[in-house]
Amino acid sequence: MRNWLSHQFLPLFLLTALFAGHLIHAQITQGGSEDSSASTYRSSASEVRLVFFVTDEHSYPAEPVQQDDFAVVDNEKVIRDFRSFTHADLISLDVIVLIDSSESVLPHFKEEIADVQQLISQSPWNPEDKLSVLSFSGMGAQIVCSGDCRSSLIAHRIASLSAGGATPLFDALAVTARILIERKQPDVWPVIILFSDGDDTISKASFHEALQKIRASEAEVYAIDLNPPGQASNGIATLQRISDDSGGRRLGIGEGAVGIFNGVISDLHSARVVTYALPESGSTFHSVRIFPTRNLTLQFRCRRGYYRSGSSHSEDSQ
Amino acid sequence: MSHRFPLIFLFCTFPALLAGQIGIYQHGTVVRMHMGECIGSGHGFMVAFGGPSTPMSAEPCPEYTLVSDQVVFVIVGRMSNSLIPLAQTIDFRLHKNEVAVRVDDAKHEAKFAIKEMMVRSDWDRVQRHIAEKMKDSEDHESEVRLR
Repeated sequence: MRNWLSHQFLPLFLLTALFAGHLIHAQITQGGSEDSSASTYRSSASEVRLVFFVTDEHSYPAEPVQQDDFAVVDNEKVIRDFRSFTHADLISLDVIVLIDSSESVLPHFKEEIADVQQLISQSPWNPEDKLSVLSFSGMGAQIVCSGDCRSSLIAHRIASLSAGGATPLFDALAVTARILIERKQPDVWPVIILFSDGDDTISKASFHEALQKIRASEAEVYAIDLNPPGQASNGIATLQRISDDSGGRRLGIGEGAVGIFNGVISDLHSARVVTYALPESGSTFHSVRIFPTRNLTLQFRCRRGYYRSGSSHSEDSQ
Repeated sequence: MSHRFPLIFLFCTFPALLAGQIGIYQHGTVVRMHMGECIGSGHGFMVAFGGPSTPMSAEPCPEYTLVSDQVVFVIVGRMSNSLIPLAQTIDFRLHKNEVAVRVDDAKHEAKFAIKEMMVRSDWDRVQRHIAEKMKDSEDHESEVRLR
């Protein structure tokens, strides 16, 4: 009987012991692989997220655009393999309106204030959108309201702004970009609407420092040009460069608040988001451009570059 | 007058149509692009010794690295808007020391000056070397960061 029992249970016991051994080994190995994958993730996983706009030869939003209609040129490398490609319809806005209240814009100051008020009160904002207003003149920028500028009390505060003094445009842009970087969230689109003539007279920050900060914030700049139409100036060139570099646009004050917001909104509706693996590169700054793969009449607009994660500008790319 | 337009159209599109039908196009992929210095229409001896010629455009011209089966070309557009569609595969042919690229589904060709040429196997070897160097420096960078 004992022999019969040992014959029956010994193989079972051996089998169980063998499985237990395998199980323990598997768990140890799995733990080890988890550790190694975690360290790999920390060191190298990275993705570039690019918001862009497509228009046809008449500057109207182009529809429909497919994933194989364009290629990204990232630091000279042509990228056609994308991780995702979607419409940017559902993202909310974090808008900072920058009001130039220096002496140089005095002739247009009332018009500028009226446009800002109209932009705030009459634009179809979403409940999740954040709106802030900063004014700049003299030695720096002052926050008029932050995040909650759609109340009627704010309109009164904006109306009471006075103009005069020097123009710290680049300092104001740097401060604005820093605010946007500090409160950056995924799926929130940072936008700067800058009312200015583009002339800087007193900033500590240089033009390139301001540009670098804006790139780091990933904000699109819509520059509302306060210069008289049909005139060429350094200020206009500055506004054009800032808006082009960020993927935004320069619009004339003559277009009015409705035209300005319509421009921003039409961009928002036609915006697409593409993501791709961060390409290898020796430099921390990556320049980016988007070009068509077939139809050369399509125009693509996006920010001109980003900073690689892991560099001193690690907040800039995901 | 009404007969002239079809004739002009035929004259412009004939080389591309003919090349397409004869099948002399090679296939390649653009792997790199950057905006660089333009190459003047006249080059070589005449430019070096012929005194000042037509002023060069202030805008940069697009420069492409075009990889085909056997040869890798670095080609430069004549103007800032001389663009190649960046599709996976493009059709091109060599024509009088230039590269003619088929644009817009063979409606016409765009001509590009050849800046450099390299045998594909040599180019592949250089690319592998660059990738290894890049990986080494990235590994070193991440080691330093972890320390």
